Amino acid sequence: MTDLAVPLHGARPARPSALRIGAWLAAGLAILPLLAIVWLALTRPSATAMPLSLILRYGLTTAALGSLTAVAVTVLGTSAAWLVVMYRFPGRSLFSWALALPLAAPAFALAYGYADLLDVAGPIRTALRASFGSDFWPMEIRSLPGAAFVLSMAFYPYVYLTARSAFISQSVCALEASRTLGSTPWETLTRVALPLARPAIIAGTALALMEVFADYGAVSFLGVQTLTTGVVRAWSVYGAPGSAARLSLLLLAVAAMLLWLERSGRQGQSFGANSARWRPLEPKPLKGWASLGASLFCLSLISFGLLIPAGWLAYRALSAAPEADRLIQAAMTSFSLAGMGALVTVTLAALIAFGAPHSHRIKRLASLGYATPGAVMAVGLLAPASLIWRGAGSGGSQTVALALGLLILAYAARLMASALGPIEAGLARVTPSMDRASRTLGETENGTLRRVHIPIAKGALWTATLLVFVDVLKELPATLILRPFNFDTLAVLADRYASDERLAQAAWPTLLIVLTASLPIIILSRKIMQSRPGE
Amino acid sequence: MTTALTLDGVRKLYGAKAAVDRVSLTLEAGKITCLLGPSGCGKSTLLRLIAGLEPLDGGTVSTDHILSGPRSHLPPEKRDIGFVFQDYALFPHMSVEDNVAFGLKRLSPAERQKRALLQLQRVHLADRAKAFPQALSGGEQQRIALARALAREPALVLLDEPFSGLDAHLKAGVRDATLEALRQAGTAALIVTHDAEEALMMADHLALMDQGQILQTGTPQACYRHPVSLAAARLLGPANPIDLLVKDGKADTVLGSLDAPGLTDGTAMAIVRPEALTLTADGTPALVLANRFAGAESWIKLRIGGLDLEARMVTRASPVVDSQVFITLDHSACTVTRA
Repeated sequence: MTDLAVPLHGARPARPSALRIGAWLAAGLAILPLLAIVWLALTRPSATAMPLSLILRYGLTTAALGSLTAVAVTVLGTSAAWLVVMYRFPGRSLFSWALALPLAAPAFALAYGYADLLDVAGPIRTALRASFGSDFWPMEIRSLPGAAFVLSMAFYPYVYLTARSAFISQSVCALEASRTLGSTPWETLTRVALPLARPAIIAGTALALMEVFADYGAVSFLGVQTLTTGVVRAWSVYGAPGSAARLSLLLLAVAAMLLWLERSGRQGQSFGANSARWRPLEPKPLKGWASLGASLFCLSLISFGLLIPAGWLAYRALSAAPEADRLIQAAMTSFSLAGMGALVTVTLAALIAFGAPHSHRIKRLASLGYATPGAVMAVGLLAPASLIWRGAGSGGSQTVALALGLLILAYAARLMASALGPIEAGLARVTPSMDRASRTLGETENGTLRRVHIPIAKGALWTATLLVFVDVLKELPATLILRPFNFDTLAVLADRYASDERLAQAAWPTLLIVLTASLPIIILSRKIMQSRPGE
Repeated sequence: MTTALTLDGVRKLYGAKAAVDRVSLTLEAGKITCLLGPSGCGKSTLLRLIAGLEPLDGGTVSTDHILSGPRSHLPPEKRDIGFVFQDYALFPHMSVEDNVAFGLKRLSPAERQKRALLQLQRVHLADRAKAFPQALSGGEQQRIALARALAREPALVLLDEPFSGLDAHLKAGVRDATLEALRQAGTAALIVTHDAEEALMMADHLALMDQGQILQTGTPQACYRHPVSLAAARLLGPANPIDLLVKDGKADTVLGSLDAPGLTDGTAMAIVRPEALTLTADGTPALVLANRFAGAESWIKLRIGGLDLEARMVTRASPVVDSQVFITLDHSACTVTRA
């Protein structure tokens, strides 16, 4: 996160250390699947090519979905952050971390909940027909706008979190200066606060869009055909890795663009710290209707983003006994995969953070993986995967182990950058002179790592582990493509039930994911809330 | 005199620019050397080169053996050189005591603790042993950083702008405590600073540095009274340059004749400290251009025969602007150099 301006000369000698080589290898692992995609796309002519018109339609749908969601998450996330930072109203301190809670639910959980709730035969429209005799519900949830609604509710927290930290880091001095120069509060927001926070907001929107384009579970369930569902279909329906790879290239181009947006947004975040005198904002109390409105707004975001769909799913789940054996088996699989995935990913990310603390090139390579949809990552690993399956037939325990290795590699390649973020933020507390102090006090480079860097970054390493654990738990498309035969995670199980229209059954694994992910998300978001700039 | 460290022709390049340009310097055991220069002159880089935190591009750094040379680079942890960093660089995850004991890992835990406590007593902070660095004031942090560097009993300790982070009213106290601890440890010390007064007050030896080069070395008195150049003179305080001609070891100025020992005939420059100009009844007539009251002293701008000079003097009756006064030159506070 923080790029220290002072290069650490000499403490790292010219000869590349083992750690630095490790960092390059880790970054190499992250882009290996991407290179494989380019290779597949260029070398594999597919006999059963997808028609071009289909690809074009996927592209247009994806663009429309992205635009709608981008607008919605930006407006919702920024307004919520502004309210929580600038004003005092009932529930504010609870909302300030609870607004991040929808991150615990995979987007497909929201899709299942809303699709069932708003179905023609669902409770709301049934009730409407009973009371008014006609069904005048305006929006079909299984549609492009419906999907945009679901994804906006699932991903607004990305904007909320970045916008909130940007507003908090703004000094009250700049805002007061604006007031003394004759601006009303509204003008202060639009002319000072928003422009100052704009880079952070753009970065948050870019992160949310990465998730939108990576989503498979929600859009496929809602019947919206995007590039990502196209990638999965090209592989599963058409059996054409070449086509899948060519679609993936399109997605990769979009990912690279989003990454560029996010990067330039993040670089601009130092805006807030420029003010020589930093004074924290004192939130203003809201009165009457305004305060009620603010509370309701925040509450409805959390409700639509988590409570309503999850609550409905819970209600549906209780109507059917779970298939306990499958569920328990899938839970075990999910937890061990998420655990292993987190361990491997955090280790690789730590290698990068410790081994190449000032190499932007390595970090850019690693973050390219983060912008890459899981389905694309999986397609990139299909070539080695199919070799393995062909080589050993199916079912051999060695084959399974190798396939699992590939799956974990896909997780690591995709999530390395999200683990890198907190680790780097933790390591930002290690100043270059602490490094030098340790060396002049008789510690070697490795000793410095052991006695200074790792202890200081310990909390950050745990944070990173939790983040990756949650993300692997929610991951669907890569697991779907790469998993060994009959190897179900909770997300895969939910997807299989849902595509059979067995929603009550699908609700069980979905809720298990939400519940398991909630605890880490609560811990993480409360931790983020406590941190202030300069700490 | 025993030599603690010798620099010989040390060079460090950043791209094409020499941050440190052929620096030669000797540090004596048990003595405090101050390296004075404006910010960006390369003095901090020189410290890092001595500590082995950066490889050098030319010359050697040696004790009784070579530490950094054309083909060798002893890593910092093997050099026996302590370093006090400008931002103190205390480890935030360790208590004060553990910070001080950080470099003592070869000792037994009991011995380590004893040694750390001894060092803390020397900087009068034994009662803060269990505290964490964040809970300490800036002055306390500075002393902990010093205790940590001295705990390994290094032959040489380097201090990079050790008082720059402190409030003005704390500086004098911390400076005295630092000097006391350094004297007690008996180690050679090299203190980098950009504060002339600080350097003059602390140094046994002074080295003046600008644009990567050492301009002058010597005792504080010698450097102040007999600067080798106007640039060297101005590092230690204001100075009036007077261009003049040397003839037969003498140079004539509007304020009378000055000795120019060892200088051949030709153009030269007299460097006159402001306090060398005093008001007397029988001096050279001068016009008062400006007069600024500054407490104990006044700053007075004078014009003497077409020459503008700045004077600093203690006067009871402040001369009025545009009036005429009479000026005498104190020869011990001026020097003639080849310009």
